[in-house]
Amino acid sequence: MRRSDRVRLDDAVALRPEKFGALAYSYRDRQLFFIDQRLLPFVDSAGARQVGEIADELVASGELQEAAVPKLLTVLEGLRRKGVVHVVI
Amino acid sequence: MSSYDVLRQGLNAPICLTWEMTYACNLLCVHCLSSSGTRAPDELSTAEAKALLDEWAAMRVFYINVGGGEPMTRPDFFELMEYSIARRIGVKFSTNGTLVDREAARWIASTDYLDVQISVDGASAEVNDAIRGDGSFSRARRAMELLAEEGFPFKVNHVVTRRSFAQLDGLHALVTGMGGQLRVTRLRPSGRGRAVWDALKLTQEQNRGLYAWLRAHPDVLTGDSFFHLSALGAPLDGLNMCGAGRIVCCVDPRGDVYACPFVLADEFKAGNVRDSSFATIWSESPLFERLRGWEVGGQCRSCGAYGRCHGGCMAVKHFTDTPLDDPDPECVFAPESGPTTTVIPLTLSPRPIRPAPAR
Repeated sequence: MRRSDRVRLDDAVALRPEKFGALAYSYRDRQLFFIDQRLLPFVDSAGARQVGEIADELVASGELQEAAVPKLLTVLEGLRRKGVVHVVI
Repeated sequence: MSSYDVLRQGLNAPICLTWEMTYACNLLCVHCLSSSGTRAPDELSTAEAKALLDEWAAMRVFYINVGGGEPMTRPDFFELMEYSIARRIGVKFSTNGTLVDREAARWIASTDYLDVQISVDGASAEVNDAIRGDGSFSRARRAMELLAEEGFPFKVNHVVTRRSFAQLDGLHALVTGMGGQLRVTRLRPSGRGRAVWDALKLTQEQNRGLYAWLRAHPDVLTGDSFFHLSALGAPLDGLNMCGAGRIVCCVDPRGDVYACPFVLADEFKAGNVRDSSFATIWSESPLFERLRGWEVGGQCRSCGAYGRCHGGCMAVKHFTDTPLDDPDPECVFAPESGPTTTVIPLTLSPRPIRPAPAR
């Protein structure tokens, strides 16, 4: 996942807010995914902004530590491989 | 915080919501967890059922497990399933298969967000029919054939018992050979199951064998049924925890809300959807709040396997008069209780299939 990528949720995935972040359920393969609070602004961005831009904003507001960004992008890439999110082309 | 700790404290809505639509059934299986057979006169009406589905949609319930009784005996079954799916609540329904004709099979195959589980409790008519009733194996098999002809990837749910344990390979081959997927679930002493528990529960040797068999067959689903067996080694697939009132609950045909489908008992009733909203019951019922704060205590807490089985199934304990803080009666470290003979006579007999009601 590059910082310049934009992501959107798969059409067959439903997202439900929970205390820890959100639960995502894929109707395509009937899989359930736990979405951590810190990941939610990326997963739920509807392809509107680059993931790097979202990360910078969260770091600036103190909601995210810069050091945590690469790990989050790796998890996001994992969700992309599982078809939960797609990179908007 | 681990996913266990997060889930134990409850969610905004259930992950796994079982809706027993009706207690009416054209079979009378000896181990029925809801003692089904006769329709409750005060069953939720079509309008009440739709209002409930509207509420679940607003709560963003992802899918519901529809069961009974035999859900297809409800005259509004197809209407309610379509209503649910139109609101983006996926449906997994359990059926004995007797009412799946070609028309129903076509409807199932052409409907998105719909999964079907056909209940089969043995790989032969001899084993299955002693539990589910004469002719039930061939009728279930016919339903499987009809769905296979439509190219639909159906599931078969098998409650494994000491009589059917030796047939697991045979059933797996039968189901996968037809393009289906096998789901194996645990017998509970719930409903009529209480009367046949001693005769049908697995022996400890079979429980160990089942653990190894499930580990060797990752394509087989379990509905997180056997988390008590995860104490034997590497955890089985799933959340490996009791979800009652935390991630699971059950709504019965009258709208009573229970902590899980296996504890349809007053002690585990959280409320009724005719008295308050489902969302209120889910989030505020004292019973559910208590369950979310509770963990199995007692000797389990000092067991090295606690992190994998979390003390086992609450329903099995409740219906065997075992204190909830005691280990699961089928704890893998417990000595054998009761006989180990494979065929013990059953104290109940299934009823032959009743004619299907007109659709």
